[in-house]
Amino acid sequence: MSYSTFNRKHFDSTKEPMFFGENVNVARYDQQKHPIFEKLIEKQLSFFWRPEEVDLSTDRKDFQRLEAHEQHIFLSNLKYQTLLDSVQGRSPNVALLPIVSLPELETWIETWSFSETIHSRSYTHIIRNIVNDPTKIFDDIVTNEEITKRADSVSIYYDRLIEMVNLYNTMGMGTFDIPGRGEIEISMPKLKKALYLTIASVNVLEAIRFYVSFACSFGFAERTLMEGNAKIIKLIARDEALHLTGTQHMLNLMASGKDDPEMAIIAAECQDEVRQIFIEAAEQEKEWATYLFKDGSMIGLNAQILGQYVEYITNVRMQAVGLETHFATKNNPIPWINAWLVSDNVQVAPQEAEISSYLVGQTDNSLDDSDFDDFDL
Amino acid sequence: MTQILMTSTSKKEISEKQERKGQAVHRVLLGKKQILVTEEEPLLIQLERAGIHVEYQCREGYCSSCSIKLLWGNVIYPFEPLAWVQSGYLLACCAIVKSDIEIAFFD
Ligand code: FES
Ligand SMILES: [Fe+2]
Ligand SMILES: [Fe+2]
Repeated sequence: MSYSTFNRKHFDSTKEPMFFGENVNVARYDQQKHPIFEKLIEKQLSFFWRPEEVDLSTDRKDFQRLEAHEQHIFLSNLKYQTLLDSVQGRSPNVALLPIVSLPELETWIETWSFSETIHSRSYTHIIRNIVNDPTKIFDDIVTNEEITKRADSVSIYYDRLIEMVNLYNTMGMGTFDIPGRGEIEISMPKLKKALYLTIASVNVLEAIRFYVSFACSFGFAERTLMEGNAKIIKLIARDEALHLTGTQHMLNLMASGKDDPEMAIIAAECQDEVRQIFIEAAEQEKEWATYLFKDGSMIGLNAQILGQYVEYITNVRMQAVGLETHFATKNNPIPWINAWLVSDNVQVAPQEAEISSYLVGQTDNSLDDSDFDDFDL
Repeated sequence: MTQILMTSTSKKEISEKQERKGQAVHRVLLGKKQILVTEEEPLLIQLERAGIHVEYQCREGYCSSCSIKLLWGNVIYPFEPLAWVQSGYLLACCAIVKSDIEIAFFD
């Protein structure tokens, strides 16, 4: 079952599952099995931005005036985000493109990953502006223990899936003894389980792992410090929210069985493990907050408040993929963050041109379009 | 006791104003609170005006942060949100309330 960059078989791609069906051949978007991915592509393209458009000259002066413990908070977050986007700028492509079977999903994966590379480039833009020797910062990302611990957690599922798919493509199904790795069993259920857990882990990355850092960036900006950085973070947060929706759709489609009935069984089997991925990530993020504030807090934020915020958004994100919430925190301890997270252009709704009455659950369809003539967000 | 939250106008005034425009007013029950909303704006902004904090991020239907439980009643979406809407939930930032409804935050 080796991968082909242009599958010669003739088949109807709208009948394929999202993953582990036929390799995609024609990149066509006129017919889609899951139109949501085409919509996500369009939205992501409409979000396009370039880091260099954001002026950071004031940030440079601000940074020099920060106290040492505040510089530590700022730089550590930047390093952590650099790690996360380094992973995200390549891994969806490397791990998912060889196994994807729908053209719209294939292109969503590429579009998603591309937008992560913009994030990575923005960190270089920021770091270049505030320090004289960027190498010191970048080098620390692979040696700093607090960061590398997190690197293990965010890459482990990706790496396992990639390894298994490589074996599958070269050897097919079976149990293989891999030098230095031991026995690895390749079967369709095992591959699908590895995939499901990978998407769950990426969902958690997009959903939770950035948010301590976002809160600190906006915490500085609330004091009118590092405002160029906050502008960039706003743009990143907007993208991340869309990526999150992408992974939530994949997980929910898998769990529903509507895409691939076998995947629904696997999703049900994995439920506890997925809960554990959420909880572990939340605990790691709380520890991260403690590390950030080890030498002192910043006005309005401390490790405890950030810990509660992590618990709160973890609950929100768990609920979004149909899991029971885990933490006792039921309120956002830093509600002011939402005013920073919201994008500046909420008035602009490109879809408005094609308004359609969309029904969910118990709804009422007795309206006509004129009811929404003056609707805007 | 059900408490009616109103900002500056009374229910009667709102109802009359809406009736003149041919628009309905609906009750939103949230725990012991009751809020009156119209069909002119999404639920989120009307809850905020009533002093209720709702989590949000995009306010445009693509992040799912504003997802809250819809215990009963009808809402519609003028355009299809990009975020997944779990059954039994609504997205406050873009849902238009079409009947009396009851909502809830986390259990
Ligand atoms: S605030 Fe983003 S979906 Fe409602
Ligand atoms: Fe990113
Ligand atoms: Fe992302």
